[in-house]
Amino acid sequence: MKAKLNRETVVRSKLLWAVIAELLILLVGFIMRPDFLSVQLMTLADGSRVLFGTPIDILNRSAEITIIAMGMTLVIALGGTDLSVGALVAVSGAMALKFLRWDVLEYPTPGDYTVMPYFLVILVPLAVCTLMGAFNGLLISKLGMQPIIATLILMVAGRGIAQITTNGKQFTTMYTPFQQIAQGYFLKLPMPIIITAVVILGVALFTRKTSYGMFVESVGVNPNASRVSGLQSSRIILIAFMITGFLSGISGLIYSSRISSCDSNNAGINNEMNAILAVVIGGTSMSGGKFSLTGTVIGSLIIQTIVTLVYFFGVVSEAIMAFEAMIIAVVIVLQSEPVRKFFASRKRSRASATGGAVRA
Amino acid sequence: MCLSNDVLLKMTGMEIEFPGVKALDGVDFTLRRGEIHALLGENGAGKSTLIKCLTGVHRMDAGSIVLDGQSIRLTSPQDAQRLGISTVYQEVNLCPNLTVAENIFIGRQPMRRGGIDWKTINARSSELMRRMGMDIDVTLPLSGYSIAVQQMVSIARAVDINAKVLILDEPTSSLDDNEVRRLFDVMRELKKQGMGIIFITHFLNQVFEVCDRITVLRNGHLVNEWGITDISRLDLVTSMIGKDMNEIYNLKKAEQRGDAPVVLAASGLGVPGKVESISLDVREGELVGFAGLLGSGRTETAEMLFCVQRPARGSVSMRGKPVGARIPLDSIKRRMAFCPEDRKRDGIVADLSIRENIVLAVQATRGFMKPMSMAEQQELADKYIRLLSIATPDAEKKVGELSGGNQQKVILARWMATQPDLLILDEPTRGIDVGAKAEIQRLMLDMCRQGMSIIFISSELDEIIRCSNRIIVMRDLQKAAELDGEGCDQSAILSIIADEETGREAV
Repeated sequence: MKAKLNRETVVRSKLLWAVIAELLILLVGFIMRPDFLSVQLMTLADGSRVLFGTPIDILNRSAEITIIAMGMTLVIALGGTDLSVGALVAVSGAMALKFLRWDVLEYPTPGDYTVMPYFLVILVPLAVCTLMGAFNGLLISKLGMQPIIATLILMVAGRGIAQITTNGKQFTTMYTPFQQIAQGYFLKLPMPIIITAVVILGVALFTRKTSYGMFVESVGVNPNASRVSGLQSSRIILIAFMITGFLSGISGLIYSSRISSCDSNNAGINNEMNAILAVVIGGTSMSGGKFSLTGTVIGSLIIQTIVTLVYFFGVVSEAIMAFEAMIIAVVIVLQSEPVRKFFASRKRSRASATGGAVRA
Repeated sequence: MCLSNDVLLKMTGMEIEFPGVKALDGVDFTLRRGEIHALLGENGAGKSTLIKCLTGVHRMDAGSIVLDGQSIRLTSPQDAQRLGISTVYQEVNLCPNLTVAENIFIGRQPMRRGGIDWKTINARSSELMRRMGMDIDVTLPLSGYSIAVQQMVSIARAVDINAKVLILDEPTSSLDDNEVRRLFDVMRELKKQGMGIIFITHFLNQVFEVCDRITVLRNGHLVNEWGITDISRLDLVTSMIGKDMNEIYNLKKAEQRGDAPVVLAASGLGVPGKVESISLDVREGELVGFAGLLGSGRTETAEMLFCVQRPARGSVSMRGKPVGARIPLDSIKRRMAFCPEDRKRDGIVADLSIRENIVLAVQATRGFMKPMSMAEQQELADKYIRLLSIATPDAEKKVGELSGGNQQKVILARWMATQPDLLILDEPTRGIDVGAKAEIQRLMLDMCRQGMSIIFISSELDEIIRCSNRIIVMRDLQKAAELDGEGCDQSAILSIIADEETGREAV
């Protein structure tokens, strides 16, 4: 029974701590600058009115990581990791810009045009990234490679492929429909927030309305028993990596749309680490098993809130990383089992003291 | 049999309450120096809870523990070890990827010049294992050895920690007769050295063979303590379950019709080095028992039939259609089902709920894109929880938190839910109590009566004889004999297992 209390509440209480951490960080921001939490309506140049403010900005900027982390949650629940997501972001952006500009010698000036049909600009990067995810998945499920090693291949090779795609050049574009992906608005909100919401909804429906989520957890907890019970773990693993690849592709499109350009060296840099961090802060264990998509979303928001907070207070850019790391360390320590147990036992002993129970 | 009266350990008025359950209620337990003391009771009687108080895993609500005349208070398993209380648990709790020697010395490695003294570790481990009658290479990873050897390793580890009290929690459930005998020799040797041994087991014959004293618990209460000569076997069982033994074992074999159609036909199945070549037929409603020693090829045969291990040659067909399985899913689709031997490794998915564990195989045959609705899942889970009387407050409890017997029932439910034609059960009654054992046996026979065919593998000959219509005896990786289940006695099977020549005569 004691075990039940601890284990059943692990995910939930980790989630609880994540929410508390996020609220605390927001509170700190609010105390230091009351306008940190304000949201206002702003009129754009074209006369439309959209929402504006730091909270909106946090949601907007967290899109890339949240989207990738949705897939990463499944991969981690299966007991794996995917290090190639950042490189795939670069590949996706490079592919999109390649199809927008095609041959920079023939079309030397960037403008509001696309050389190849727009649907290819979107579909090809997504397809390529999905295939790369499938490549990861096959290496792991069919050849039995360790996920870290298998995805390391594309983590390194991916940026190379991105470089080759654009001949090592940084293409830029002014094509409006493409810029709309990250810079446009819908329902008064920045487009990335809408895309993220759709992705979250899609992954949640796919995992919880089909049995895919249960299969992932089952394979993550006990691959042997799952096999004997008839689950095809190789297919389940393959799908998880393909989803992650596809989502990295979406993330890459958003990123390159934000900067109207592709940047094979810097696009998606550290995304793999941030996505893994978001999943872990969200309460999904690195050793696989039960996963929480809600947790992952909150994890991603925590990371972006910290980054925003740091920028907001004008910390010198050299110190930003260290500052970020410090706050994340505090969050993770707060979530660690000993600390949570400490708080739990304090609560329990207080309760039993008032209840007058005798304890040996 | 000398009973020393030199008290080593005394537990009085032990009480533990879990939410909703009083797991221990005023239990006393006394262990004397140089005695082997059996702690008996059904699953849920409180044996494990009592042991966990003694090993510092559970904090008790009331009661006292006196070791060697000194009152002790245990807050962690490390405390218990330091005070000389060593435990070997039912399920092997070692690290399979480490070597045998590393497993024996992990956490207390002898050091030399700032480094780990591997020479001493390996030499002492070798010596320890040899003393237990096991001449094995201690520098190989543990995972390369059978469960039996692994069990011996965990005992060696416990014994080497100069213990005063040694607790053996069902150490024999995965050992064969020879290994059990060797273990008993070791236990008697330790007893002579004045160690007090608490022995928990479900095998009553072993209790009478090796123990000096018996304490029985039931529903968290102490029933009584007896000297081994003061109680008969029947009285003992009655005191454990509070019911008459005959009532429980009033089982009738399912009748078998000779003209029943063949459900499973296997011919020439084999994997080099595991099973030579085995052929068998199972008819509708028939219960075929597999007897034989550990490592005789029983489990391997079952795994080939179900394609957990893909056979290198031979074929399997179900109701005349070849199965041609590449993975277990193919076998499931041909209406086969398989409860594996190692419940923890291949059976339960510990972190998932009872409901999820039960629907898993059915859902696997449907594929994940055609999910069962929550209502369907709950209905299915509730149905089997009721049918198999799985002891749980609700279907959302994690399977890992159930007792062994209930976990086994959940796996059984998982397979019954797929409505198989053939159910293969590999040691389904291992490590569970007499009551649950009888329940599972009765279930098997009921299913046979309803037309299901069952292959039943067990190390306990009496339960094979009690249930089977036909018995296949395995020896040295092949089928040694096939016996009619009626009028077959233990000695006939034993002689086949033991020796080829006498075996033929016995048939």
